[in-house]
Amino acid sequence: MVIKEKLRVLVEMEPKRMIMYPLIVFALAVVVIIGNYALTGSLVKEGIELKGGSVITLQGVSADPDELAKEISRLGVEANVERFTGIAGGGGIRIYVPAGEDVNKVKAFLREKFPGVEPEITVIGPTFGKMVREQGIKAIAYAFIGMAIVVFLFFRVPVPSLTVVFSAFSDMVIAIALMDLFGIELSQATIAALLMLIGYSVDSNILLTTRLLRRKEFTVEDAYYSSLKTGFTMSTTTLGALVSLWLFSTAKVIDDIASVLIFGLLADFMNTWIFNAGVLRMYIAKREGKKK
Amino acid sequence: MNWKKIILNGRVILLILFLTLSVVSLATRGLTFGLDISGGISITVKLENPVDPQTMEQVRIALEQRLNALGVKDIVIEPWGNQFVLVKVAGVSEEEGNQIVETIERQGVFYAEFQGVIFATGKDILNVGSVSYDPREGAWVVPFRLSKDAAEKFAKLALGKAGYPVDMFLDPPVNSTLVVSKEFYQAMLSPRFQMNGNMTLIERISKAFNIKVIQYSNQTPEEIAKVAKGSERIILVDVDGKLAEELKKMGLKVEVRKREKNEDIEDFVRRVLRLYGPYRVSEGLATGRPSTEVMISIGGSQNDIRARNDAQVVSVVLRSGSLPVKLSIERIDYISPKLGENFKKQVLVAGIAALLVVGAIVYLHYRKLKIAIPVMFTSFSEVLIILGIASLIKWNLDLPSIAGIIAAIGTGVDQQIVITDELLGESGERKIVRRSGVLKRMGRAFFIILASASTTVVAMSFLFKFFVGGLRGFAFTTILGILIGILITRPAYGEIAKELIGGRR
Repeated sequence: MVIKEKLRVLVEMEPKRMIMYPLIVFALAVVVIIGNYALTGSLVKEGIELKGGSVITLQGVSADPDELAKEISRLGVEANVERFTGIAGGGGIRIYVPAGEDVNKVKAFLREKFPGVEPEITVIGPTFGKMVREQGIKAIAYAFIGMAIVVFLFFRVPVPSLTVVFSAFSDMVIAIALMDLFGIELSQATIAALLMLIGYSVDSNILLTTRLLRRKEFTVEDAYYSSLKTGFTMSTTTLGALVSLWLFSTAKVIDDIASVLIFGLLADFMNTWIFNAGVLRMYIAKREGKKK
Repeated sequence: MNWKKIILNGRVILLILFLTLSVVSLATRGLTFGLDISGGISITVKLENPVDPQTMEQVRIALEQRLNALGVKDIVIEPWGNQFVLVKVAGVSEEEGNQIVETIERQGVFYAEFQGVIFATGKDILNVGSVSYDPREGAWVVPFRLSKDAAEKFAKLALGKAGYPVDMFLDPPVNSTLVVSKEFYQAMLSPRFQMNGNMTLIERISKAFNIKVIQYSNQTPEEIAKVAKGSERIILVDVDGKLAEELKKMGLKVEVRKREKNEDIEDFVRRVLRLYGPYRVSEGLATGRPSTEVMISIGGSQNDIRARNDAQVVSVVLRSGSLPVKLSIERIDYISPKLGENFKKQVLVAGIAALLVVGAIVYLHYRKLKIAIPVMFTSFSEVLIILGIASLIKWNLDLPSIAGIIAAIGTGVDQQIVITDELLGESGERKIVRRSGVLKRMGRAFFIILASASTTVVAMSFLFKFFVGGLRGFAFTTILGILIGILITRPAYGEIAKELIGGRR
């Protein structure tokens, strides 16, 4: 394939530059996250599930979000209204009511304004949100440590293992920065997606590391190029599946998981096939230099 | 290409076996969908502090007893760890959902009534002992202590009335008019509810709670409204639904109770009235001497689980349906059943689209149907087996579970590509001729697959262990999918691919 031939560019690139570019992206992502923290006081925008509050979803309703928000504010409730659409028809509006406001008032108002529309309502208490956040952080931290241990057990060499762990970390950081930029909130669903990202990220990194370290019959460049092609196939199929998921569903849970995974996979392509590959090529060159 | 060799391979046979089992299970048992797909309400209730399993069981019974009042079908109460309880009800309307929430939040109101006189309410029950089996009585007993006032009141009422019925109620439908079917009416008059007393159950509840009971015999809504004047609400029991609409149109508050399939008519009466008992007054209590230490006994052997459960329920009711710990509602998810249908369709479309897109991309990469079709087939089998197992263990498929299936398929396809590429080798530049070469390559592919599968399983296990919410479904199906992948489908794909790609070299 033509695109695959283009991947040759990477093979010819100098390992030092292969390491530098992804590190720059990583640094930019860190800047975005810190910037977000400075502006909003949190690393990533937290959704209703973590902060507490209510979401009312009305499917199949088309209304001007701003207009509706204004009408609701006349009830004395400050709500956020947003519109969503799905490719297979459908779409509607979501109304976010912060914790402590009177949801029942909003519900009654909406029932009157859109009679016959079946709502979907989620109400979450603030303490519950706090617990979900704690659990989320705990789950991510433990999963990360667990992953690192498994990776070390499999490879038993420090430099390549550390690189795998770092690129998984960088994937997550970049995904979070993109969540900040695209306004995707941290929720149970996106926490799950971040966890899933650990799995995907390790997948491709292990493939690359195994192929480069264990394939002794070919040159490093050959081995790299062939794994790069495999990796490219892997990433495109997964991205294809995720994009179709994202396009066809209007369920927020699925949309959110799909978009975070898409961010992460894009980051992962760079971190595995450019950054990790660069480190490995330098590592192998050094090792083989020693042998001589 | 040697089809026979493919089909007769042990790993392929295993795959076919699992596929058959899954299809059979799906066809006979079907899938159970989560509330976020099928519609309904799910309420996460938090207890004030962590409790032991015994207390948790009391909480469960108390919630169950209270919610039964609503006559809503299929209420599932699931304790979650030691501090949370999930209450799930499928297919309810928004209004019913609100009623459920209110009921959980509200304290139950307990009444003990004798001869149409309420002699004790919840605050007169000072202490409820634990349920135990009394071999002398040959019954399960619930001892409790009455307040002095209530004991004296009862002693006076019950003088010389041994064998009369004592009724206990939790949240009875006070100030209401019951329009009931003939069968229901007859049941209310049955000796089981009257015992040796001289008042019928209908008379007792009318006197104590101002509950009017009318037998329905095609009266017009106007006639019923006239009788029901002064009642707070009308409850239609086993009466056709059209009447409810008409009465509602007249601005009356109407509730409907339906007898459940296989429900005993007497149990139905108890459920509608929220009646427990009646219990027979023993000789000792009819002497006119007040006694504060009393007990309710429920006949049955020591191994009689039903009798024991009934006793448990009584003990909970005596505590006014109040819970051993304070609880708060932490999360409510409501989704209308109609919307759920829509989601099911969407998820199906998205799933099929994802599968086709994957197939198309794989084809674009290799330009060989020989690869694209087995890859798609393997992914499809994976979905089928995950669903098969889900239906076998009656796992509730909710949206996160479905996302998990998709995630598992995503990694699955990745791994099949690893196998394919290992087998294809250096894109034809150097052909692998020796069979040992193929085996070595397969070995390496499976090393990669095993390493990445174990990391994902480890990561997901934490999610499964630490989350209270619905994300366990995501973790569960992901782990299930990965396990099915490395144990069943991936080895089979390896064999098929070896024949189709590797074997020919």
